[in-house]
Amino acid sequence: MNNDQLIIAGKAFSSRLFTGTGKFNDQKTMVAALQASKSELVTMALKRIDMQHKEDDILAPLIKNGMNLLPNTSGARNAKEAVFAAQLAREALQTNWVKLEIHPDPKYLLPDPIETLKAAETLANLGFIVLPYVHADPVLCKHLESAGCAAVMPLGAPIGSNKGIKTAEFLEIIIEQANIPVVVDAGLGAPSHAALAMEMGADAVLVNTAMAVAGDPVAMSRAFAKAVEAGREAYLAGLGGQSKIAVASSPLTAFLEAG
Amino acid sequence: MKITVNENIVQLDDKCNIEQLLIVLESPLKGSAIAVNQKIISRSEWVNYQLQENDQVSLFQAIAGG
Repeated sequence: MNNDQLIIAGKAFSSRLFTGTGKFNDQKTMVAALQASKSELVTMALKRIDMQHKEDDILAPLIKNGMNLLPNTSGARNAKEAVFAAQLAREALQTNWVKLEIHPDPKYLLPDPIETLKAAETLANLGFIVLPYVHADPVLCKHLESAGCAAVMPLGAPIGSNKGIKTAEFLEIIIEQANIPVVVDAGLGAPSHAALAMEMGADAVLVNTAMAVAGDPVAMSRAFAKAVEAGREAYLAGLGGQSKIAVASSPLTAFLEAG
Repeated sequence: MKITVNENIVQLDDKCNIEQLLIVLESPLKGSAIAVNQKIISRSEWVNYQLQENDQVSLFQAIAGG
């Protein structure tokens, strides 16, 4: 498995588990959980500062621990805002990688496919490494690939819902058709969900909420790391086919009868 | 001179560049991004970019997010 690296835009990753930094109770737990996950790519958001209530500096511990940063465009409601957010993030974090997310609807946070494609084209032309968060839409994913995206990040279920993979059949088509890495993002609520995505042939998964809100975020992050490794190894090993009827695992010869 | 930072009025010395502004605001230099009058100012320009009276500064910072 050591040689089984994931390559995105020329960058190699040993871990196929990407993580987010949101919703952790405190910074110490977040850093410990991210370390336990062995993740090498972590997402961050960008916010217009509230001068009266400044946020903690979470950047320093992430950089200190050698994490690669993937800023997102969360909060953008259309392509224009997302491009602006990506440019700000590039300045703030000094990276041209961006998780492009445009979800104007606050209830389900479902990504806007039209604005996402528009923004992806613009950002790719501006030299960004674009990883768009999208619905599990195989046609859209091919358009995004043509637009120059470095990977696609189709959802399993709505962000933070912990519902697991509700889009399995469409993810399978996306994985089958993609010539760029497929990172299943959003909705993965348990290690088994992550393992399933990897068994299906996803190149990586991104998990945030399920780790951050767990009773023990560090232990849960470790469990996700194991699940992702197990799912990947199972995919590479080649899963056996399914059958409607039983297929005996032991010989059915009548050993009690005389030979 | 008077400028606004995220809609808050800030009084500064007459000569102030962006890096000096962040120091005055006690805002971290790392993880921050700045737009002046809706135009993003690249980090490499911060030291040379002199703020002007009535400039509208937008200050952004990297925060936790998924």
